[in-house]
Amino acid sequence: MRHYELLTVLKPTLTEEETKAKVDFVKEILEKNGAQIAAFQEMGTRRLAYPIQKLERGYYSVFYFTAPTSAILEVERLIRITEEFIRFMSVKYENQKEMAYWNKQAEKFALKVEKEVEAEETLDEESPKEATTEDLVSEEVVSTETVVVVEEAKATQE
Amino acid sequence: MAEKRKYARKYCKYCEAKIEFMDYKETKMLKHSLSERYKIMPRRLTGNCKRHQEMVELTIKRARAAALIPYVVNTKQVIATPFDLLNQ
Repeated sequence: MRHYELLTVLKPTLTEEETKAKVDFVKEILEKNGAQIAAFQEMGTRRLAYPIQKLERGYYSVFYFTAPTSAILEVERLIRITEEFIRFMSVKYENQKEMAYWNKQAEKFALKVEKEVEAEETLDEESPKEATTEDLVSEEVVSTETVVVVEEAKATQE
Repeated sequence: MAEKRKYARKYCKYCEAKIEFMDYKETKMLKHSLSERYKIMPRRLTGNCKRHQEMVELTIKRARAAALIPYVVNTKQVIATPFDLLNQ
């Protein structure tokens, strides 16, 4: 098993559903060939530096995965056949420094399910904070002496 | 000698930033090593160290293949602000 990165560029003329289907198609063929997808980075539609097949824009998506060496050939063959892909590139990560970067990226763009969980956690953390600030405001009203203390507390919070 | 003092001493910007690995998707980092016409600048002009210059070369070539950076900018297809491409 080796560490790889696969960049694909889709035609911008496709509808959202079609692009999604094509992204899933890549995921499917990767997994079919024994690859384990670690992360998926969606770069979205952006301008191409030069026209490809007379197209000015392209939909970029990047996959980070580990796979046996034979898988790459098959995946590339399938992508080449599919007309919707205007460009693709697979990059091999070999030495320690490259691997470190691969791990970093894999963590950063870990699959979506984990991301949503993280988002929920952060939301939970935010809600008690708001409550405390409200408490502080109510204390201000009670007495002028505590105001100074409260302001100090606020300053430290900031 | 007087001529030499006109210019600041060249140094490797990538060494300063302590870059271990360059990602071809981050095109901003390659800006130092590209000319206005998107040619790869030689080491004697940029002051890059050998190790980082080799990394830059590989990364630029990958970015070109992925259509993130143009291969050539010539008079036939003029881009008004070529470096805007990097800031996307």
